[in-house]
Amino acid sequence: MKRALDFVLGTTVFLILATIVVSVSWQVLSRYVLGTSSTATSEVARLLFMWLALLGGAYTFGQVRHLAIDILPLALRGRPRQILNTLILLIVASFAFFVMVRGGWTMVSRTLATGQATPTLGLPMGYVYGALPAAGIIILVYCVMFLGRIWLNPKSEGGFAIDPHKAPAPEERA
Amino acid sequence: ETLRLNHNNPEDHPTHISMEYMGERLSELTDGELNIRVYANAQLGSQRESMELVESGILAMARSNTAELEAFEPLYAVMNLPFIFESEEHFETVINGEIGQDILNASRDRGFIGLAFLTEGARSFYGDRAVNSPADLEGVNVRVQPSPSAIRMVELLGGDPTPIDWGELYSALQQGVVAVAENNPTALTNARHGEVVSNFSLNEHTIIPSVVVISTAVWDGLTEDQQVAMRQAASEAQAFHSESWNETAMAALETAQNEMGVEINEVEKAPFIEAVMPMHDELADQSDDLADLIDRIRAAAQ
Amino acid sequence: MNMTVLVLFGSFALLMFLGVPIAFAIGVAATLTFLLFMTTEQSLSIVAQQMASGLDSFTLLAIPFFILAGNIMNRGGIALRLIDLAKVLAGRLPGSLAHVNIISNMLFGALSGSAVASAAAVGGVMSPIQKRDGYDPAFSTAVNVTSCPTGLLIPPSTTLIVYSLISGGTSIAALFLAGYLPGILIGLSLMVVAGIIAKRKGYPVAEKSSFKDVRAAVGRAILPLGLIFIVIGGIISGVFTATEASAIAVAYSLLLALVWYREIGIKDLPRIFVDSAVTTSIVLFLIGCSIAMSRAMAFGDVPSTISSFMIGLSENPVIILLSITAVLLLIGTFMDMTPALLIFTPIFMPVMQGLGIDPVHFGIIMTINLCVGICTPPVGSALFVGCSISGVSIGQVMKPILPFYFVLIACVLLVTFIPQISLFLPQLILGY
Ligand code: NA
Ligand code: NA
Repeated sequence: MKRALDFVLGTTVFLILATIVVSVSWQVLSRYVLGTSSTATSEVARLLFMWLALLGGAYTFGQVRHLAIDILPLALRGRPRQILNTLILLIVASFAFFVMVRGGWTMVSRTLATGQATPTLGLPMGYVYGALPAAGIIILVYCVMFLGRIWLNPKSEGGFAIDPHKAPAPEERA
Repeated sequence: ETLRLNHNNPEDHPTHISMEYMGERLSELTDGELNIRVYANAQLGSQRESMELVESGILAMARSNTAELEAFEPLYAVMNLPFIFESEEHFETVINGEIGQDILNASRDRGFIGLAFLTEGARSFYGDRAVNSPADLEGVNVRVQPSPSAIRMVELLGGDPTPIDWGELYSALQQGVVAVAENNPTALTNARHGEVVSNFSLNEHTIIPSVVVISTAVWDGLTEDQQVAMRQAASEAQAFHSESWNETAMAALETAQNEMGVEINEVEKAPFIEAVMPMHDELADQSDDLADLIDRIRAAAQ
Repeated sequence: MNMTVLVLFGSFALLMFLGVPIAFAIGVAATLTFLLFMTTEQSLSIVAQQMASGLDSFTLLAIPFFILAGNIMNRGGIALRLIDLAKVLAGRLPGSLAHVNIISNMLFGALSGSAVASAAAVGGVMSPIQKRDGYDPAFSTAVNVTSCPTGLLIPPSTTLIVYSLISGGTSIAALFLAGYLPGILIGLSLMVVAGIIAKRKGYPVAEKSSFKDVRAAVGRAILPLGLIFIVIGGIISGVFTATEASAIAVAYSLLLALVWYREIGIKDLPRIFVDSAVTTSIVLFLIGCSIAMSRAMAFGDVPSTISSFMIGLSENPVIILLSITAVLLLIGTFMDMTPALLIFTPIFMPVMQGLGIDPVHFGIIMTINLCVGICTPPVGSALFVGCSISGVSIGQVMKPILPFYFVLIACVLLVTFIPQISLFLPQLILGY
C-alpha cells in the first residue's frame, strides 16, 4: 500500500522535475539560439515548481526525510516513544488538514470565484493553489499509515522518527 | 482602529511618503479614530498576495500598480496601454476626473475599492543610444518587465524583449547584455543606471500608476463619516503625490544630465504611437466596457 | 507584541524539541501567531496562501537545478577528478592529504552548492587513504567537516540564492562574487592549522609530483572546471540569470557524465532526479512555511521591535554586531542552515539597515555564521555526514575539531568586521 503510493508519487515528482528542466532549457535555448523570448515557458516552470515543492514535500514526508531535531524521540524507548511519535504525527496531520487542505481549499475556491488568472497564460490561479490540498491529503494518508505502523506493529523500532542508522543518503540533504 | 497597508517599496520611496501622509491626514480628519500603519518592503506579502488578502478582508489596504491589478479588475488593463495618455497632463485630467473614479469603483464587487492613483511618472527608453524612432530599436535587446503587454509593445516597436530581473539590470546594461531598458527617470539615479547609460529618450510610452486600494469588507465596516474622511485623505494624498513625484522626476533628470553625463532627448511620438495601435484595437475588441473606457480616455485628451 | 513573540517562538521551540519536522513546526507556529490577529478561517487561508505563493519566484527555480547538477557531478565521477587535481595543488605541504581534502572541498564547492554532498563525496574517497597513511581518523574527519562549508560561500550557492529571495532581491551576481574571498579565506586558514597539527604529529608529506602528473591532473579536471566560467561567468556578466545558468549547469554536467565520461547511464537518471527532487522539496517546503512565519512576525511587528531593542542596547555598532554574531552562532548549534537563514534574515535585516551594513555583506555574514553551525553538535548536517562517512563518532571528533572551530570563528569575525573581504570583488568587477 505505502509502496504503491511512494511509487506513484515518486514518478509524479520525477516527471514534474523533468518537465521543469525541459521547459527552462527550452527557454534558454529559444532566447540565445532562436532569439525569441518565451514568458509562457517560464510561467509553466513556475507553476510546476510550486507543485514540485508541495507534492515533493509530501513525498519527502513519506520517506521521513524532512529535517527534524530527533534528540528527544531517539532518547525514548518503548511506550513513551510510541506516544511521542503519535503526538508528532497528530501535529503534522492537523497542520496538513487545517492549513493545507482547508486553508488551501479556501484559496482555491476564492481565486476560482474571482477569476484571478496567471499573467501570461491566463490559467486560473486556483490551479496553482490546488497543489496545497493535494499535498495535504497525501500527508494525511502517510500520517495514517505511520500511525498504523506505530500501533499495530509496535515492535518495529523506528516508528516515525528518523533512524540515524538509516539516515538519508548524504547527498539527499541540502 | 488602525488599518494595515502593505506595499513593496522601500521606506524612502515617494509612494511610501505619500501613503504616510494619507495616514496622517486620515488621523487628523477622524480625530485619531482611524489610522493607517504602512508596511514597506512587502513585509506582509508581494503585490499579488496582498491583493488576495485585501479581497478576503484579511488585510485592510494595499498599494499595487495597474499592471498587477489587471489580473484582479480587467478595466485597469486600459491604463497599461502604451500611449493611451498623450501626456502627463492628460493622465492627470483622467485620474482627477470622473473616469478615474469610475475605474477605482469598478472592482467593488470583486472585494476591493480603489482610493487613489499615485503616479509613478511616464516610462521611456534609455540605454547606450538615443531612441528617436522605432527604427532605433530594430533588433536591439530591450529589457522588459516579464508582463505580456510590455513584451508585446517592444515586439511591435521592432525590439527584442529580454526579461531580466530588476536586481541584475545594472550589470546587464553595463555589460551590454541589453542595450536599452525602459523606466521612469528615477531609475537613472536611484538604481544608478545613469552611470552605465548614455541616453534617456523622452518617448513616454506608458504611465503606469500605483493604486491604493481598500478591502470592500473593511470599507463597508466604516461609518459614513469615516468613509468621507478616507476619500478626502486619499484625494489629498493623490494631489500631494503628483506634485512630489514631479519634483523627484525633474531632479532625477537634472542629476542624470549634469552629474552622470546622460543625454536627454526629446522625441517625436507619432511613429511610436502608430506602431503600437494594434494593442489598443485588440483590447477594445475584448469587451464593450473596455472599448468604452478607451474612447472616454481619448475624448478626455481634447 | 510580547504575546506575539511568546506564541511564535514558544510554540516553535516546543514543537522543534518534541521532534516535529522543522518545516511543520514553523508552519504551526505561524498559524498560531496569525490566530492572534484574525479569525481561524483567515489564519488558515493566509498560511496556505503564503506557503504556495512564497514559492512563486523564477529565481528560486535555480535551486532544484543546482542540486540536480551537483548530484549528477557527484555520481558522474567528477569528484575523483577534482581530488586528483587537489593532490598536485597541495604538493609537498606537511600533512599533504589534509590539504588535498580541504582543496577538494573548495573545488567541489566551486562547482556545486551543497556542503554535505561535498563532505560525502570527498570524505568518502579521502578517509580510507588518510587512514592507510597513518592519519588519525578523528583528525581527518574534523578537517573534512570544517572545510566542506566553503562550498556554501564559494558560488554557485543555493544558500545565497535563498538569501537573495528573503532579503528582497539582493543581486545574485554580487552575492556570488562576494562569497569567493570569504570561502577561500576559510579554506586557507584551515590549511594553516591543519599544517601545524600535521607537522607536530609527523604526518607524511606527499611525493613530489612530476610535471607529467600535473599536466594529466589538470587535463582531467579541465572540463568540469570549465563549468565555473560558463555558469558563474554567465551570471556575473549578466548574460544569464541565475536560473538559466543553473539549467546550463545541468545540461553541461549531464553531457560530461552521460556522454563524455560515461560514468552514468540513462537508467540512473530517474533515481538522480527523484533524489534531487527530495532534497529540493526539503528546502522549498521549509521556504514556504518560513515565509508564512516571517509574515506572521511582520503582522506582530516582531522585526522592528527586535531591531529597536538591539539598537537601543548599545550605541556601539561593534557591540551590536558581536551580539548578532553570538546569537547566530548559538542558533546554528541547534538549527539547520536553511530554516535559520529564512527565519533570522528578516529579523536582523532592519538592524543591519540601521547600522548601514550593505545587504550583500550581510548575506555573507549570515551564511558564514551558519556555516559554523552545520559543523557543531547537537544539530549539524556537515558534522553528521562527515562522521558517518568516516565511521568516527561525534564524541571522538570533538577534541581534534576544537582548533578548527577557533579558526572558523576567527574567520567569522574577520568577515563581519572587514566588509572589504566580501565587497572587494563585487566592487571591482560589478562596480557594485
Ligand atoms: Na558552491
Ligand atoms: Na550545529
